[in-house]
Amino acid sequence: MTVVPAQQPAGGGGGSSGLYDVLELILDRGLVIDAFVRVSLVGIEILKVDVRVVVASVDTYLRFAEACGRLDLDAGPRHSPGLPELVGEATESGARGKTKGALSGAAQTVADAFHQVRGDKDDQDGKEGSAEEKPVARRGGTRRKEESG
Amino acid sequence: MTTYVYAIVPDGSRVEDEPLRGIGDPPRPVRTVTADGLAALVSDCPPQLRAKRRDLLAHQAVLARAGTAGPVLPMRFGSLSESDEAVRAVLAERAGHYRERLAALDGRAEYNVKGAHREEEVLRRILAEEPEIRALNDARRAAGGGSYQDRLQFGERIARAVREREVRDARGVRERLGPLAEAQHDGPAGAKWPVDVSFLVAAGSVEAFLEAVGGLVKDHPHLELRVTGPLPPYSFAEEAPDGTRA
Repeated sequence: MTVVPAQQPAGGGGGSSGLYDVLELILDRGLVIDAFVRVSLVGIEILKVDVRVVVASVDTYLRFAEACGRLDLDAGPRHSPGLPELVGEATESGARGKTKGALSGAAQTVADAFHQVRGDKDDQDGKEGSAEEKPVARRGGTRRKEESG
Repeated sequence: MTTYVYAIVPDGSRVEDEPLRGIGDPPRPVRTVTADGLAALVSDCPPQLRAKRRDLLAHQAVLARAGTAGPVLPMRFGSLSESDEAVRAVLAERAGHYRERLAALDGRAEYNVKGAHREEEVLRRILAEEPEIRALNDARRAAGGGSYQDRLQFGERIARAVREREVRDARGVRERLGPLAEAQHDGPAGAKWPVDVSFLVAAGSVEAFLEAVGGLVKDHPHLELRVTGPLPPYSFAEEAPDGTRA
């Protein structure tokens, strides 16, 4: 699991991956008051069109077919193939101890991030790309590819 | 002069010792406009405001800072008013409603959960768990991959199976985490992320919530989950459309 701090620490180098994850929240949610005008955000609307048509394309079909052809099912998957879809109560309680340790750490990270805002100083100079550029860079199938590599 | 509005907070929640840094370069100082027990966090609006990374982060940072002092009603990015006076009038006009929303959001934060399949893991599962597809795959391999048409049809079949699992996994996430949250708000349908749900989580439930996320990750190794939070309650500023109250 990745718990992404809501606020990137200043100069963290990682830049705006966290921002990317909440972009549509900042741009599309939040209170709208009709007495106020909303600044025209040229280019931003494109983000919303950035839908996952991927799954319904010929390219995807061919890619899936090829990937299935390559899969060596007997060569020991990274995770047990027999793992049931939903793990039963017994397993769950057995796993709890382990999970808990990892998670209190994660919760800590989140809490830290929440209070870190204060130190969130300047910083982003040199990485001034406008928001609309980001998803494009990130798109290119990185999410899927990084797993299959 | 144009006034940029970040958020509405209860008047008197001491947000800052020094002025918050708002949008623009150089950052415009954030000030408050008050009316009827409410305060709007505002700043001047720089000319030609666009959704630059710096400005989005500044908007977000002002909200997060304000959130450490008490409840926040986040405005959508880019909300402008013609003047502070006009902001004051809006506050006064709907004060009761905003106070009610602030009370409902007090002590709560938004956690956004996004999930995507690890493609290879999912394909592996499909082949392992759906004998019919497995048989097709074996036959196709024996035939040296099959014709273009064969591959296309097979791939389409796989895509359908993948989609079914996405829907199922998204439902599983909502069912597992929903009870630990006070409200939830689905991301845009058909969007990039098969799983994209925001949850409104009370401070006292955060640990259990994150623990449940950990459980999901453990039970669904083919699913990559990202949790972002605590966030200002962007998705819960208004009452949910289905009438569930935050």
